[in-house]
Amino acid sequence: MATIKGLLKRSPDTPEAPGVHPQALWSFRPRSDREAGDAIVSNLLLHWFPSKVYKPSLDWSYSFWLGTASAALFLLLVVSGLPLLMLYVPSVERAYQSVKDIEYVVTFGWWIRAVHRISAHLMVVAVALHLVRVFLTGAYKNGVGQGQCREWNWVIGVVMLLLTLFLSFTGYLLPWDQLAFWAVTVGTNIASSIPWIGPTVRELLIGGRTIEQATLIRFYVLHCIMLPGALGVLFAYHMWRVRKDGGLAKADHEAVLANQQPVPPVASKTYTLLGVARGTAPTVKVTSVEAPDLTVSAVPDLTRRAAIVVLATFALVSILASAIPSPLEEPANALVTPNPAKAPWYFLWLQEIVTDTTIRIGSFTINGAFLGGVILPGLLITLLTVWPWLDRSSALSTGRWFPKDRRTQNAMFLALVLLVLVFTVIGMFLRGPYWNFYWPWEAWPEIPARI
Amino acid sequence: MEKRTGSPYPKIDRPVLALVGVVLVISTAFFAWSDRQHDYRYYQYQFRQMVAEKFGADLAATTSSGIQQVWVPGLRRADRCTTCHVATNWKGFETAEEPWRTHPVEPLKAHPVETFGCSACHGGQGWAIDTAEAHGEVAHWEEPLLGEGLGESYSLVDNKKALMQMNCNICHRYERETAGADMINHAKKLVQDKGCRACHVVNGRGGTIGPDLTWIGDKAPEQYEYGRLSGQKTAFAWHVAHFKDPRALVQDTVMPNFHFSTKDAQALSMLVLSWKRAEFDVALYPGVARTDPQTAEERKAEEDMRTGPGGWFVQTGCFVCHSISVFGVKSPAQIGPDLSIAVEDVQARFGRTIDDFIREPTGTMSVVLSRQIILTPEQKQVAIEKLRQAFAEYQRLKAEGNAPSLSR
Repeated sequence: MATIKGLLKRSPDTPEAPGVHPQALWSFRPRSDREAGDAIVSNLLLHWFPSKVYKPSLDWSYSFWLGTASAALFLLLVVSGLPLLMLYVPSVERAYQSVKDIEYVVTFGWWIRAVHRISAHLMVVAVALHLVRVFLTGAYKNGVGQGQCREWNWVIGVVMLLLTLFLSFTGYLLPWDQLAFWAVTVGTNIASSIPWIGPTVRELLIGGRTIEQATLIRFYVLHCIMLPGALGVLFAYHMWRVRKDGGLAKADHEAVLANQQPVPPVASKTYTLLGVARGTAPTVKVTSVEAPDLTVSAVPDLTRRAAIVVLATFALVSILASAIPSPLEEPANALVTPNPAKAPWYFLWLQEIVTDTTIRIGSFTINGAFLGGVILPGLLITLLTVWPWLDRSSALSTGRWFPKDRRTQNAMFLALVLLVLVFTVIGMFLRGPYWNFYWPWEAWPEIPARI
Repeated sequence: MEKRTGSPYPKIDRPVLALVGVVLVISTAFFAWSDRQHDYRYYQYQFRQMVAEKFGADLAATTSSGIQQVWVPGLRRADRCTTCHVATNWKGFETAEEPWRTHPVEPLKAHPVETFGCSACHGGQGWAIDTAEAHGEVAHWEEPLLGEGLGESYSLVDNKKALMQMNCNICHRYERETAGADMINHAKKLVQDKGCRACHVVNGRGGTIGPDLTWIGDKAPEQYEYGRLSGQKTAFAWHVAHFKDPRALVQDTVMPNFHFSTKDAQALSMLVLSWKRAEFDVALYPGVARTDPQTAEERKAEEDMRTGPGGWFVQTGCFVCHSISVFGVKSPAQIGPDLSIAVEDVQARFGRTIDDFIREPTGTMSVVLSRQIILTPEQKQVAIEKLRQAFAEYQRLKAEGNAPSLSR
């Protein structure tokens, strides 16, 4: 007992020497800057934070802490996935039954499943919003720091978004109900519309020509091991790069402004701010982002905010999970197509575009699956990936909301986002049987039952 | 020790963090509480009181508590119905209200709950432990409880509980008669009497004019055409309406109207919907027929018709609609005139010779001879000759005063 107390309590005689950390556990209420810094150095989880953080990067209204929320959701998904891993049976004969058991008789099983499901949906939303925020604030751009390569962290972010979508998609199939089976049918059929290699890609995805046991086990392993593993590794790298790039992009911008020194007119590329920062033409003196009046200690100011975001995310998910029951449709049946058969909601904008680009002239049909399902998303992903290198806006607009010289690209980006949203909403709420259009006030035809 | 640099945040952040903590505690309490909200706790408590009142506290202590389950490996069913239906195997609660009522003893003799579970006979969702889900009154569960309530919604004739007999027949489908399944027995008799097999294959035997009905119960409700059906849009309602008047639902069907009564139509609908595949464990059904053989008399009657002088009409399929009484061929449907006097009859009806009519038929026969029964010119010649023989035979019998009575 005395040992534990000794660990938790600071000993007054401990010498304050470099490299000696008087406390084994970090304190929420450090009494000195030294103690605050020690908390970072001596803790495995906290050491990815700098000991001092640029104050404005903690602002709620700058980043909305969407990355932290995404990470919290990922954590929640891993933790809620572990009990599910023990309860779920990845076989076509028993998967559906095991989910029924989780839902009805496992203690808290329905809640664990709902937490997993809600977290998955929210993570898609949070990661997508995080990407939108980073784009709109130009945070993929390098600012004034040395050795920055934020554009690569942006590329990693895009890959992580795709991984998030694919994680959610592979999880969709596991309950082996009608919703799962047909969402995956629609999804993989879109993949098969790629010319030449389409059928092979589909066969590779589903492990055969029909969605069967081979598909289930493939998606199961992808969902439980490969994709979360890949996402975890990329997440660690993503965080490390944020540190290497000098924290949030906001810091770069504020560092320049806080200097109060006029920036001379830029004559040519040689004299851009980047060049200045790298010391080619020392016209502007850049303040250190570690100046005492501009920074706060990561412990406890950053950790407290992170705790608020993480715990609030947990609370929100828990409440939603208790309030919204998780659907489980009829057992998968390859012979009966539910009408309408819809892809997962985050792919509905693609399904909508596929329908809208499918043109029938008499008996001749131009299939939109290739355009809407392959070309368009491929183009968008490519554009997203290479955008940091196409973006010509000034380094001064890094880490700011709606700067003037990014007005056009931000407007274009927002228009695209809006378009995706509109198509998603149409696909989710306004498409009924046979993918016919129904206004919200129009009733869908009655769905027949057996008896 | 130097002082810590002042932070601009703690003032608001600390209460926010505290608030988040409180919300987290409340949300935890909320889901823990939700997890306990099940009616079975009340039912079990109530039953304990009932037993205590009737048989004393000692027996009351033996009543079940918590989630109960009957696992039937052969049928892959885990039935948790007895969680609420606590009195199933108790004596003395025969008149109690559900879910505290004793199960009737008779059906349980051959089908003990411990071996068969509940949902294999009653339908419903055995996995669930709450009423609405368990009784299948929720979306995405296609096997509702086949109880009185559902029977009433279809205005079943006589026995409102009869729908459950569909599930009897999933295992007992090859029996000619099953004790306790009156509606199904009635329907099976109709299938024999009306000769459904003239057009439909059932259990591997029958004609091919209509669709194979062996597994028709598996046909998904979405695959029926409801455009001309009024009222409930269910497969059962569709079949009832279709049996009463096939053409009212499917305009170009060749299925004749047998003018079934409501009871007939309901019984037949139950029968055909019970023709579905199901998990089947042979160990559970000792002594139950697993094939559907014909009796010796049935085989002989069929053989006689097929090899007798009218055999050609049987093999070709004409007999589905037409009897040829002089050759001893009896049509199951009898919707066309008897072909014994076709030679005379065609002349009277169409003003054409039989040769001419067979070669260039009009009306219904033009449809039948172009879709269902397609004959080569040589076969048509055979048909004409056979029809002349039949007419000659008819005239001979008539001269003797033995002419059979003919359906027209």
